[in-house]
Amino acid sequence: MKNMLWLIRNTLRSTFRKKSSWIIYFALPLAGVILSMLIYGNTNGADLRVGIVNQDGDRPVTADAIRFVEELGHVKVTMTDEASLNKEIAAGNLDSGIVFGAGYEAAVREGRQPDIRIVSAKGAQVTAYAKAMLDGYVGNVAAIGQAAKGDAAKFDAVYAEYKKNGFKMDSDSLKDTSNVKSMTYQSIGFLLMFMMFSASNMTELILKEKENRTFLRLLASPVSARTYVLSNVLFTAFILLLQIVFTLVVMRYVLKIDSGVPFAVLLASLFLFSLAAIGLSLLLVAFSKNSRSAGALQTLVVTPTCLLSGCTFPPEIMPDTIQKIASFLPQSWLLDTVTELQSGRTFGSLYLNLAILVGFAAAFSLIAVYRFSRNNDVRQFI
Amino acid sequence: MNVLEIRNLTKKFDDFIAVDNMNLSVREGEIFGFLGANGAGKSTTINMVSSLLRTTKGEIELLGRNIAKHPKFAKSNIGIVPQDLAIYEEMTAYENVSFFAGLYGLRGSELKERTIEALDFVGLGDKHKSLPKNFSGGMKRRLNIACAIAHRPKLIIMDEPTVGIDPQSRNYILNSVRKLNRMGCTIIYTSHYMEEVEELCTRIAIVDHGKIIAEGSKEQLKSIITDTKEIWIAVKSEGAVDLESLKRLQGVTAVRLEDQTIKINSKAEINNLNWIIQQLIKDQVEIRSVEEQAPNLETVFLTLTGRNLRD
Repeated sequence: MKNMLWLIRNTLRSTFRKKSSWIIYFALPLAGVILSMLIYGNTNGADLRVGIVNQDGDRPVTADAIRFVEELGHVKVTMTDEASLNKEIAAGNLDSGIVFGAGYEAAVREGRQPDIRIVSAKGAQVTAYAKAMLDGYVGNVAAIGQAAKGDAAKFDAVYAEYKKNGFKMDSDSLKDTSNVKSMTYQSIGFLLMFMMFSASNMTELILKEKENRTFLRLLASPVSARTYVLSNVLFTAFILLLQIVFTLVVMRYVLKIDSGVPFAVLLASLFLFSLAAIGLSLLLVAFSKNSRSAGALQTLVVTPTCLLSGCTFPPEIMPDTIQKIASFLPQSWLLDTVTELQSGRTFGSLYLNLAILVGFAAAFSLIAVYRFSRNNDVRQFI
Repeated sequence: MNVLEIRNLTKKFDDFIAVDNMNLSVREGEIFGFLGANGAGKSTTINMVSSLLRTTKGEIELLGRNIAKHPKFAKSNIGIVPQDLAIYEEMTAYENVSFFAGLYGLRGSELKERTIEALDFVGLGDKHKSLPKNFSGGMKRRLNIACAIAHRPKLIIMDEPTVGIDPQSRNYILNSVRKLNRMGCTIIYTSHYMEEVEELCTRIAIVDHGKIIAEGSKEQLKSIITDTKEIWIAVKSEGAVDLESLKRLQGVTAVRLEDQTIKINSKAEINNLNWIIQQLIKDQVEIRSVEEQAPNLETVFLTLTGRNLRD
């Protein structure tokens, strides 16, 4: 045990002395999270930018309607003309526009539906909130007009009373978690990919020790091959744990991304996956003659499996057959676990997913150990 | 007392027998030369003694204990200086020695003292903060030795410790070997430089095809070949020398050409010098000098194995 700790300490020291290690193990997963934020974070929580065109002149009822829109929550109003409105929407400077046509006030005074047009380049879902609120307000004012039956004094009296009481509206902001879920999913996807590359890099140290002959000296000391490999596995697990904790802490407390999954549960799920990643990297090392071939094998295995399982883009865009193949990959099971946790399932209820991840780790490691032990050549390490 | 005792040692790789029923003993306080051409079986033997390879058959005892039964004891009492440098380039000289010594259980002030002691011993005390990548080949070889001695092993195995280094570093290493020996270490020394072995070693074993074919002091080995003489003929140019025609002469057992010198091994009882010279004159080879050499280790090795040590 003392020797194992001594080996881990030495490996940690020489690893973190290199700047490249900090980049590979911490900066790259963080870059993945930031990339996910850029992809999915644009529409989340931002105010709706609405351009208003008033073609009805300085009519007080029209001005009140415009003020109503201005006072809506999560709406930022810009007064403009119709030509500029289309240009601004096309340029992406505005999300939508509301055109109060000429005769708006006259129409509502008479109890008719006024000429209001809503313009948007992003579809109805973007304007639905403002439209629904405005429809309610205009409907009320038109109802006053209907009740007044063309009597301007009566309309003014009732409208003044309506204005005094204000347009009573209670609104509760419900968080749109769909983007956050997508962002978390993709961030975890990138993290998985970098965890797999990191695990491979670290287990490749076994082959590098072999190449620079230090393994001969290590095995000639009271350290057994088993102790050495186990120390490498523990070292790799420790670094992956640090990588997970660092990424999750930055996601949650610095970038304020709430994954919707308790921190400890997400940490535990990812750590289970890290065991599968270590098992796979040991397997790659066991079947490689040198660090170069291990590196090539790592790229050949990690990159396509991460693509297939949806680490870099949503799996739904892939054909059904490919999605079925992804079921044989540990990354898919971890991402599925995260999705299920986000949709409210408990950690315990996902025992099948978790057991499959442990199964992957055990199967990879056992094959690697078998492969190691079958080799009688001292140059092949064990 | 024997520090190392090897009995009926055999190592097979599938059908290939690398070490064949070898018996060998190394006494306490010896510098023991272990000679063999490439592929003779010496590295395999060393790997088995160092517990890097399992034996197929036979026993190895270190300080009276079977190394298969007491691997930790054996490993703790052996220091290995491998032929290939086994150091971390990204760690300082101090960190290298300290790390390897730590594997033998040394910690704290004891570890620090032993590390400094080992670095001072190989003359790298003032370079302890330097990275090996900035070292010369000789300095790296010395660091390679320091990493093997900090835990004060009883037996040090040095496999070609002077390969590819400058004469100054080589002398330093040879002196270090003598000094270690004077301090009580038993040393097994392998080298392709016969003069090093002849100069350093108190006893020598010659291994060929996995077997010890001769063992003893230099004098004992040389006495084996009293029936052989060696003639050295310095020539002006190597180009015209026809080694095959010389080999066909009566009594000649081996001929080689090194540095414009024809080295001929011949049966001692046959006086064939005249025929040799006549053959060279016939081949129009210009002779500069002729010497009959007393048998040396090189002659012994060549006679016994039919090969040069560097083959």
